[in-house]
Amino acid sequence: MLEFLLLPSIIIFILSFIKSDKVNIPLAFVSFLLVLPVTKLLLMPKPYAILGDYLVADKLSTYVLFVSSVVAIGVALALLTLHKHVKVSKHAYRRFYRFFAIFWVGLIFSILSNHMGIYWIGLELATLSTVYMIRTNHTDAAHKEAWNYMIVGAIAISLILFGIILIYASAKPILGEDAMNFSLLLEHAKEIKSPFLFELGFAITTLGMFVKMGFFPMNLWLSNIERASFYPVAALFSGILESAIIIGFFRFSKIAMVINYDQLFVFVFAYTILTIFIVSFLIFRAKDFIRLFSLSGIEHMALIAMFWTSGAPFAALLHFGAHAFLKPALFLSTGVLESNGKYKIAGALRGYKGFKGSLFWFLVSLFLLAIISLPPSPMFFSELYGFGSMVSVAKESHHLLAMIGAILLLLLFLALIFYKFIEIYQSMKYEGEEGEKKVYLSELLSLVIFAVATASLILPQVMSYIEGIA
Amino acid sequence: MMVDFFIGLFLASLITAIFTTRLFRLLLWYSFNSLTLGILALLIGFKIDDGAMIITGIVTIIIKAVAIPYFLKSFSQKFHFVRQITPNVQTHHAIMLVPAILVFTFYLSQPVTNMMSGNTNYVAVSISSLFLSLMLMMEHKNVAPKIIGFLSIENSLFLLGITATNGMPMLVELGIFFDLLMAIIVINLLFHREGFQGAKDA
Repeated sequence: MLEFLLLPSIIIFILSFIKSDKVNIPLAFVSFLLVLPVTKLLLMPKPYAILGDYLVADKLSTYVLFVSSVVAIGVALALLTLHKHVKVSKHAYRRFYRFFAIFWVGLIFSILSNHMGIYWIGLELATLSTVYMIRTNHTDAAHKEAWNYMIVGAIAISLILFGIILIYASAKPILGEDAMNFSLLLEHAKEIKSPFLFELGFAITTLGMFVKMGFFPMNLWLSNIERASFYPVAALFSGILESAIIIGFFRFSKIAMVINYDQLFVFVFAYTILTIFIVSFLIFRAKDFIRLFSLSGIEHMALIAMFWTSGAPFAALLHFGAHAFLKPALFLSTGVLESNGKYKIAGALRGYKGFKGSLFWFLVSLFLLAIISLPPSPMFFSELYGFGSMVSVAKESHHLLAMIGAILLLLLFLALIFYKFIEIYQSMKYEGEEGEKKVYLSELLSLVIFAVATASLILPQVMSYIEGIA
Repeated sequence: MMVDFFIGLFLASLITAIFTTRLFRLLLWYSFNSLTLGILALLIGFKIDDGAMIITGIVTIIIKAVAIPYFLKSFSQKFHFVRQITPNVQTHHAIMLVPAILVFTFYLSQPVTNMMSGNTNYVAVSISSLFLSLMLMMEHKNVAPKIIGFLSIENSLFLLGITATNGMPMLVELGIFFDLLMAIIVINLLFHREGFQGAKDA
C-alpha cells in the first residue's frame, strides 16, 4: 500500500526533470491521481497497518489525508492557469512540482505516522520543501520571506523535536524504544512515572506547533509569507500543511488528556483565546485578500484546537474539514480577484460576465459567507457543537462562570471578524469600478470541487463518518 | 571522565562560536562542536554497548563535522559571501549574557533533571546549548551565521537525545540526518539567489 501511496509523488518528481513546455499537463494529471490510493485507503477496514507499527491508517489519519488530497487536486487545477495571472517561468513551474512531490511524501509520513519520530521527520520534510515553493515567485519579497520561513520554521520544528525528546524520556523507563509509539503511549499514559516531564514536553511541542500555525506571538509571520508567495502556495499552506500540524496536536493532546486534562485545558484555552483576540483586531485592519484569509485561517485553527480540547472532537473535525476546503478555495480565487488590480477590494466581485463569470462570483460569495459561519455552512454547525461542548465541560468542572465569560469574549471577537467580512463583501460587490474580468475553466472547476466538497460535509453519511472518528 | 571532558568542549566551542566575527572561523567552531558531539555519541555508545549510537556517532562526524562545514564553506566562496559577521550583541554585553544564560538554564532545567536517572548535568548542558544556539541565531543579521545557529540547535537537541534518553531510535536518528541533508539542498538553492542578488547589486 505504501508504494501505491508514494507512486504519484515519484512520477511527479521524475516528470519535473523533463525540460519540455508540454510537461505541465502530465504533471497536473498525475497530481489528480494522488486521490486514488487515498480513496482506496479510505475504503479499507481500520486500523490498517501500512508499515508495521510505524505507519498506521486509522479513521482520523485517513480523513485528514483524504481532505488533503482533494485540496491537492484543486491546487493542481488552479496551477494550470497560474501563468495567466502572474509572471512565472516554465522552469519555476517544474521546480514547484518537484518540491510538491517531496512535500506530499513528507505529508504521507507525518499524517499516517503512529510514531513521534516519523511524524517529526515527515513534518520537517514537508516544511523544507515549502521553503522552495515560496521561492518560485522570483521577487525580493518572496526571497526574504523564504529565508524567514526557513529560520522561524526551523525554530518551531526544533521546539517540536525538543518536546518529543522530553516525552520520550518520560515514557522510556516503562516502554523502552516503543515510547515513541503514539498508540502504545496512549495505552500506558497512566503508568508514566514522571508526568511533569511529559507535561513539559507536551507544552514545548504544542508551542512549536502553534508557532508553525501562526498563533500568538507569530500572527503576522505566516500571513507575510503567504502574501509574498504565489497564491497556490498559500492554498497548500492552509489546506494541507496545517492539516499535518493539527493532526500532530490531536495525537499528542489525546495522551495529554489522560495524563493531566486540567493542565492541557488551561494551557490551550489561554493560548487560543489570546490568539483569537489579537487576530480579530488584525483582521479588522487587513487591507488585502491574502492577509485577510491567512489571519482568518489562524482564527479557525485556534477554534479547532479549542474545540478538540473541550471534548468536542466532532466539532473540531467538522471545522477542520470546512476550513481545509474553504480557505484554499478563497486563496485560489485571489488569483482572479487580484490579477485585475492588486490589493483592490472595492469592486473585486464586479464585472464578471457570462456563465463562467457569474458562477465565479457566486461561488466566491458563498465561500466568503461560509467562512464566517453563516448557516448552512459546516462551520455554523461545528461552532454550535463546539460551544455547546465547552459549556458541558464547564458544568462538570465547576468553572461555569469562567467558561461563560470565555464564550462571551470569543463571541465578541468573532462578531468583529464577522462585521469585517460583511463589510469587505459589500465593498467587493457594491463599490468600486466595474471592469471586465476573465475567469478560466480550470480555476472555476477547482472552485466547484471545493464547493461540492464543503457541501458534502453536511451530508448525514459524512457527518456520521466524522462522528465515528471522534 | 572523558565524557565530562567532551561535554565541556562541546559547550566551550559553542560559546566561542558566539564571539566569532569571521565566517570561516564560525564554520570551524561548528565543525569542532559537531566533532565533540560525534565523539560523545561514540563514548556513550561504547559505554552502554549500544550499536545504534555508535553508528550515529560515526555518521555525525562524517556529515556534521566534515561534509556540512565543507559544503557551507564552498557555497560561501561560490556566491562571494561577506566574511565579516559582526554580531549585533556587543562583546562586553555577550560576556555577561552567556553566563547569565548558563545559570538561568541550569536553574530552569532543575525540575527536569531531578526526574532523570544518570548524569543530570549533561541534560542541563544540552538545554543551555539550546539557548546559546538561539542566541547565536538572533545576534546576527547575516543569513550564514543564522544557519549555523539552526545547525547548532540541531546539535543541542541531538546531545539532549543522547543524554536524556540514552539515544533515540536508530530510525529517527537517520531520518533527522536525511532531513538535515535536505535542508542543505534548500539552503544551497536559497544561497544561489543570494549570490545572484549580490552580484546584481555590485
